[in-house]
Amino acid sequence: MSLHCENIVKTYGGKDVLHDVTLDLQPGKIYGLIGRNGAGKTTLLSILSAQNPATRGSVTLDGEPVWEHRQSLAKICFSRELSANAESGLAAMKAKEYLRIAATYYEDWDKALEARLVKLFDLNVKKKLGKMSKGMLSMITIVVALCSKAPYTFLDEPVAGLDVVAREQFYKLLLEEYSSSGRTFVVSTHIIEEAADVLEEVVILHEGKILLKENTQTFVDSAVHVSGKAEEVDAATAGLEVHHPETIGRSKGVTVFLKPGQAVDESRDVSVQPVSLQRAFVALCGEEEARP
Amino acid sequence: MKRNLKFWTRYTWECGGLVLAVAAVLAVLAIFGAEGLDFRTFATRVPYFLCIGAVFCILVGNTGTEVLYVPLLLSMGETRRNVLLGFHYFRLLIIMATTALCALVWLIAPGEVSSIGLRSIPTIVCVLLIASALGSIMGTLFTRWKWAGTALIIVLCGLGGGTMGFAGVSMQDSFFTAKTVELAAHLMSTPWWLAAAVVGSLAVDLAFQWMLLRRQEVKL
Repeated sequence: MSLHCENIVKTYGGKDVLHDVTLDLQPGKIYGLIGRNGAGKTTLLSILSAQNPATRGSVTLDGEPVWEHRQSLAKICFSRELSANAESGLAAMKAKEYLRIAATYYEDWDKALEARLVKLFDLNVKKKLGKMSKGMLSMITIVVALCSKAPYTFLDEPVAGLDVVAREQFYKLLLEEYSSSGRTFVVSTHIIEEAADVLEEVVILHEGKILLKENTQTFVDSAVHVSGKAEEVDAATAGLEVHHPETIGRSKGVTVFLKPGQAVDESRDVSVQPVSLQRAFVALCGEEEARP
Repeated sequence: MKRNLKFWTRYTWECGGLVLAVAAVLAVLAIFGAEGLDFRTFATRVPYFLCIGAVFCILVGNTGTEVLYVPLLLSMGETRRNVLLGFHYFRLLIIMATTALCALVWLIAPGEVSSIGLRSIPTIVCVLLIASALGSIMGTLFTRWKWAGTALIIVLCGLGGGTMGFAGVSMQDSFFTAKTVELAAHLMSTPWWLAAAVVGSLAVDLAFQWMLLRRQEVKL
């Protein structure tokens, strides 16, 4: 079973938000979907779950189209980030009601888990969504995502507004659910460092294009930070894929992505350090912030 | 489909409660203005309160459904086709329930007004169908083009308020059988233009709904 999208294009007002996105999500993995604001993460998840139509391209699950296909849709849960502002109409709905509707529509809804999570997060489900804080709304989306038991579950900014304790709880619950059910999770997040240990594969979306889809550890291991005198760094990294140069006076630092068999010339007077997922992501997607 | 039916049936039940509540308020207001009230006379007037309550709730309810529940159900993995079918099932169910309740009351409390009332059922169904289509059109417009939806809501609320005011004035005399018979008799025949309005409003509603739903983007 795999969720596959082919040549997805999404256009808003003549502007392409997603350009020919082709992606294959294998079962039993936790994917991290990362990208800068406006990269198209929510749009991509919406199209994968048939909540938004694509301008072009197709999405299939086990070869069956997802669009208007109840059996395929039943295997996907995209627990959206709730805004619950006055305009959305959700503001007047009680959390209890929202969860009740979710329980009606997700056929494998786990009521016991719902009760456990509501207690764990100390959620007042009698409260209207419009009266809830951003953190509490995030907790509601987490409850829906985990209790849906959908084989493919997407979470859009699930930790937005959560304090550090709740974020830890979430990642623990995610791993617990993942190891017990083998479900596939796609987590879109900006808090990359905290999620890095949990994500098995990372998908980087940049300006509407898939820049990279790789095992997280392989990706992180392939990147190193090289620093030293500018001419030494240039010589040590000659012929390599260099990103995000930072120059301060005569010193220079660059992030290098090494392909198999490649290495930095350490005979030069340079310092080579491993980088974090966040640092590697910034190096790939933050070029315009590089100092001259 | 079973889950879809479960949701919409429960939603109909909740909206039905609202219809009854509005009808009860109208009935209480009428009782306060009545002279020489007896139970049978009162009972034969109740279906009219129910119909006014239903028109109000259907207009408001359908708008709210289009704006809130349609995207919500899409976000929970329901197909657009099933959402559309479920919404129409809800609309039909609430119209059938209101009409059946009216007919039941008139059958239980026979008399001249009840007899006229029973013969007015086709007209009542037409009015409820038009209200249902208008409510849904308002919701569609509000979801797609907020300014147009808001303008239509203002116009319809104005018309609705005027009608309620007119009905309120008429209610002053509604417990005089002769006056009620005179008013209710207007509903006995279903004019061709009313039937045409039903067909027209439902066609516009369906076209609008499908136009919106087939490309609708979920925003919560």
